Order: sequence, then C-alpha cells, then structure tokens
Amino acid sequence: MLIFSSCERDDICIDDITPHVILRFYDAELPTDLKVVNQLSVKVLGIDNDSLFFTGLDSIAIPVNVLANNTAYTLTVDSNNGTILNRDVLTLSYTLESIFVGRSCGYKGNFLNSTYQISDDGDNWIESVEIINENITNETAAHVKIFH
Amino acid sequence: MKTLQMKPQHMLRSFIKSIMFLVCLLFINQTISSQEQDSIKSKYGLRVGIDLFTPIATFFDKDRKGLELVGDYRISNKFYVAAELGFLENISEEDFFEFTTSGSYIKAGANYNAYTNWLNMQNEIFVGARYGFSTFNQTLNSFTINNDAFFDPLATSQSGEKFENLNAQWIEFVLGIKAEVFNNLFLSFSFSGKKMISSKEPENFRNLFVPGFNRVFLNNSGFGLNYTLSYLIPLYKKSK
Repeated sequence: MLIFSSCERDDICIDDITPHVILRFYDAELPTDLKVVNQLSVKVLGIDNDSLFFTGLDSIAIPVNVLANNTAYTLTVDSNNGTILNRDVLTLSYTLESIFVGRSCGYKGNFLNSTYQISDDGDNWIESVEIINENITNETAAHVKIFH
Repeated sequence: MKTLQMKPQHMLRSFIKSIMFLVCLLFINQTISSQEQDSIKSKYGLRVGIDLFTPIATFFDKDRKGLELVGDYRISNKFYVAAELGFLENISEEDFFEFTTSGSYIKAGANYNAYTNWLNMQNEIFVGARYGFSTFNQTLNSFTINNDAFFDPLATSQSGEKFENLNAQWIEFVLGIKAEVFNNLFLSFSFSGKKMISSKEPENFRNLFVPGFNRVFLNNSGFGLNYTLSYLIPLYKKSK
C-alpha cells in the first residue's frame, strides 16, 4: 500500500513565516565598520509587553506588526546605566502582503517598499539610516543599516 | 451342459429393454444436474444505494454535510461496474485559518469480487478502482497572519475571499466487503486510498480539501471510508 505509507503528516509548521526586520549597527564615523550597541532595549509603541533586550550585538531582529502599515519602535541605548536614558523613536512604514504558506503555517506577511524615519528629539544617538533591502520577505540578510 | 442360448425374439426384447433403461438413466441424470444448476444461479441487476457515512458523521460533526448516491451493475460472475455521485459541504478548522469547501463529485470504475460464494449467496469481498472528478468552491472564512507571538495581544482574525470554479481529478483504489442482509438488500463497508492527478488551485491558497477526495495531504494523497446501504433491482439470472 504505497499510497497509505506515504501519507505525510503536515501538522507541523516548518516553513518560513512572517520575517523579523534585521537591523545592523555601524559606526557613524567609520561607515564601513560594524559597531556594537550596549544594552539596547527595544519597545514597540502600542504594545504593553516587556521590552526586547539585546546586549553586545551589532545585529538585531525585531518583530513587525502585520495589522498596521507601520511599526514605531523606541530604541533605548545603555538602558541599564543610571537615570539618563537616550531614547530614539524609529518608525518603519511598509505595504503589507500576505502569502499562503501551507496548512499548518497558514499565511505569512511580507513587508514591501519599507521606509524608515528617525524622530528628531534634539539628542539622537542614531545618526542616520540606510536601507539595504526595502522588501522584508525573509531573514537571510540584514534589511537596514543604522549608523550611530 | 446348458448353454445360454437366446431365441432372436428374446434378444430383441432385452435389447429394447436395455436401451429404454439407458434412456431413463440419461433422463434422470439430466434432471438431477439441471436441478443442481438451478440452485446456484446468481442474480444480475442494477444495484442502487446511498452512503450512510456522511449522514452519520453530520450527526456528530455539523461541519460536514452532504449526500452520496452509489450504484453498481454486474457484468460477469466476478466483475461489477460501479459509480458514486455526491455533493459535500465541509468546514475545515486549521491552526491559523478556517475555510469551507462546497461542491459535487462523481467517481466511476469497477469492482472485482475476490470472494467465492457458496450456493446462491451474493456476498462480496471486493477490490476496485475509480476515477474521480469534482468541481467545487473554497471560501476562506477567517485567518490570522502567522507572526511573532510578540504581537499576540493585537491579534484579530480577518475574513478572506471566495475562490470559485475550482476542480480536481484523481484515482482511487478501493477495498471493501458487501453482504446481503435481507433479500436484495446489501450493506457495504469500504476503504479507499486516493491520489490526486491534477487540480485547479486557487490564487494564494490551496485545495486542502476536495469533495469526494476529502483531506488532501502534502503529497497529494488521501483516503476515505464508505458505509453504504443499497438495493438490487434484479434483471435476470445467470448460472455461475
């Protein structure tokens, strides 16, 4: 019974689902060098969850909202040092595309034609932003360069 | 010394008697054998019925509704041509979406009875094959995009679209038993293994369920169960 023995189980999602946006941090003074961010805390505006915390990394992957056309992040550097914290707001805007993956994964979201904006608060630790890939469809490479 | 000598008249009489005796014997023998054959004549006719599996399933699970008519026609001692015709509406609930499939199907093929009946019994243990075809719609009732759990507090489902004029074709191998429970009334139970040949898929979705085929697995195979009640309309009798 060849047919029966090859009834594959498709109950587990193993395919790629909605990707995170991958930020890579570079030195603003030496733009080709990677620069690690100390104790980076990321919070998403509109979500009351605990912050995402990254320490000693030059690349981070953060989730993007599929129920809106933009996601605003508060990136706080040196978040464990004292009371003076430097917060920058980075807003990512995009066009959402939903793609069917399979029975157990369902649909994934792709973020197309993405743009980034840093809110100028007079004391930004982030100097500038350069887009690597404006279409966020997978997690194989970084999508944006952050210079600080 | 006594020798057996018969007069010519006696000889003729004996001869006629023997002939008559032989004829009688032949006649009796003929009668006996034809009576034996009479008692193992099988019925040939059109058998029609309905599938009980889906009506029973609907009782337990309101998500599956439909009706299937079945029929077969005996063409020889062992072979039957068979067909099934039905319609089905089925709601499938998956982890991240829910969809409704609605459509009709037809299956046609033949069964071979591998069981040798005693006397004039008409039971079957059969193997068979079918070609199946279905036309149907898929409606994506609701879905949520599979994203990082970080955004779960915001998660709401959205409704999807209706995909129309889809179709699919497949082959099946069937294994079953059929028993005559009352005069000309049969109960049958069968299992089928199915393999999709081709299908018209919807845009940005997939035919994960097809009427007549049931759930479509990753490698385009499927299976089904049938429990049918049918009645034989006898047309003629034939000896085995």
